[in-house]
Amino acid sequence: MSTDKLAAELEQILTKKIQSDQLVLPTMPAVAVKVMDILRDPDAGMKEAAAIMEKDPVLAARTLRMATSAAFAAGGKKITLQEALARLGTKSLKSLLVEASAHKLFVSKNPQINDQLRILWEHSVAVGTLARDVLALTGAQDSDSAYLAGLLHDVGKPVVASVLLELERQLTEVYQRGWIDSGEWLTVIAKVHRHVGVVLAEKWQLPAPIVTCIKEAGEYDQGNRQSLANAVCFSNALAKKSGIYAGPLDAEDNDALVMIGRSVIGISDDILRTLTKGLRERVTGLYD
Amino acid sequence: MPAILTVDDSRAVRTIVGKQVKELGFDVLEAEDGVQGLEQLEQTQVDLVLLDVTMPNMDGPTMLQKMRESGNKTPVIMLTSESKRTIVSNAMKLGISDYILKPFKPEELRTKVLSVLQGEPGVDQIVQSAAPAAAPEPEQDTMSGATVAPTAAGRFVDILVVDDMENVQRKLRSMLPNHVSLAGFTSAQSALASCREKVYRVILVDTEIPDVNSQVLGQQIRVLQPHAALLALALRTANDVTREVKDQGFDDVVFKPFRPDSIDDFLMQYFDNQEFLTVEDNVLKVAPFTGKADKVDRFYGRLNGVFEEALEKVAAACYDEVVLDMGTPPMEGDRLPKFVNSVASKSKEFGMTLSLVGPADLRKALGAYEETKDLKLFASLQDARSGAAA
Repeated sequence: MSTDKLAAELEQILTKKIQSDQLVLPTMPAVAVKVMDILRDPDAGMKEAAAIMEKDPVLAARTLRMATSAAFAAGGKKITLQEALARLGTKSLKSLLVEASAHKLFVSKNPQINDQLRILWEHSVAVGTLARDVLALTGAQDSDSAYLAGLLHDVGKPVVASVLLELERQLTEVYQRGWIDSGEWLTVIAKVHRHVGVVLAEKWQLPAPIVTCIKEAGEYDQGNRQSLANAVCFSNALAKKSGIYAGPLDAEDNDALVMIGRSVIGISDDILRTLTKGLRERVTGLYD
Repeated sequence: MPAILTVDDSRAVRTIVGKQVKELGFDVLEAEDGVQGLEQLEQTQVDLVLLDVTMPNMDGPTMLQKMRESGNKTPVIMLTSESKRTIVSNAMKLGISDYILKPFKPEELRTKVLSVLQGEPGVDQIVQSAAPAAAPEPEQDTMSGATVAPTAAGRFVDILVVDDMENVQRKLRSMLPNHVSLAGFTSAQSALASCREKVYRVILVDTEIPDVNSQVLGQQIRVLQPHAALLALALRTANDVTREVKDQGFDDVVFKPFRPDSIDDFLMQYFDNQEFLTVEDNVLKVAPFTGKADKVDRFYGRLNGVFEEALEKVAAACYDEVVLDMGTPPMEGDRLPKFVNSVASKSKEFGMTLSLVGPADLRKALGAYEETKDLKLFASLQDARSGAAA
């Protein structure tokens, strides 16, 4: 079966499942959901949030690490989880919860798939980092949201990957033969992931501008030149051009997106150099 | 001299682009479409083509393709309101050097033109002269004691005072807001040396410096600082001092000893214009009128003095529409419609249409005059952007 045909069939299967509400979408981890609920309640305190978060040691450790990082630290002394939450504040904490929840999607027990997901996650982190820096360096507002928007722009990919993995398991059992190689695997995912990403983002109640970034990543909006969606579109192309990407890539098409984006958003050569300097080092090693 | 061909069906765009490119020191050729563009290239060798996409007769991509097919490898920058990636991607395959989306800022055009042409014969000199000048050594501001940072911005100083009495500089400094920078010199020689290094906005020259002919000093300063306002510093006398100093080549006079109201006037005239009429994208926003009735003439006088420059900025970014947000202007008499009419006429010259934002009373004030009665008026900037007329 050709890649195009496989992608078309997979899209059909996914669409049917979504329409009939049968697509099993990953839920946010229970701890993240509970803490999010607490954060929505203006009367609830960080003490309650900390008590829940302690039940997820990985999330708690990540929170402590972020709160004592350079951006938030005030002296580097050891702090409690409750103090860490207070230091981060509601907005940063919500971002951290969504990021941690998304990260869990990019992990698979299948070693081969896991390697591909690792690259996809690094690409997502690169796009998030670039999108935040693009808006910050061009003086636009809301550069914090840009990180999350960039990070989640491909969030449908691991979901499609898990569906594909299940199909593979069923077919190999029936036909007793091998499945598609990893290159085709990525091609199929790239063709169908956006629709699933949007459905997932809506289920997770992510803000509308982030959903827009997941939905549209191929053309720029001239009406709002420094929009979140434009920053993510440009950053996606720039991360691909920097080689932090796994999947099919039309290099000329991607170069056009970078060239257009520079003028649309107003990126000078100096800013461009700053954006991509040490990018790979900044995004690798963040998987664990 | 290196030459640039601008191919665009909009006369306004060609004019604006041509003006900016000429300021860089290039010759400019124009063409209205791809057919004319190819004809120009057959007749003249150019160093760069600035090419629009959508044009009648022959569009930009077709002209580019024909250029390349005929072996013409002249660098091309696509300058267009088209942002579809398939179009740009195809143009990249034909070797465009860069891309500029309309509307654009003049700095983007300048930077990209110079970047593409760097290394071409005859262009390096232009590139060097267009680059920011070397930063000066750190120097002590004698008046405030602050050290001026050795950055490009450090070259620009608001006021230069040349007066042999040091207390004159001190007094003026004490009456100026902190953000207005001032350098002072007691000798003509050191003032001239500074004029060779710095860029000043306003220069005040004492007319009574011992052993110095202030008229000659003024002329020398004028040569070194052609864009600065040159004002005489003089004592109040029974003579018509203003006329006397103007005859000597000064733009105006500032009287000593300084009085708060005259310094207010001076600041308003030379330093408040930007806040008075701000430009953001294609919107000109007039600051609210807060003065008394006797200041209305001055209000419109100042607006008349600054609006052209503001319109030029909008036109330079290739907008085809400009919005004038009047706020709540004084509407007595015919000053308002006269001003609006001037803005509308100038906008038309720049190839732009004018829309207004203001209260409903504005319609009444403008409706009485033939020239202004049909202008589009919106209740808010948001309405103006969505095109919903009041």
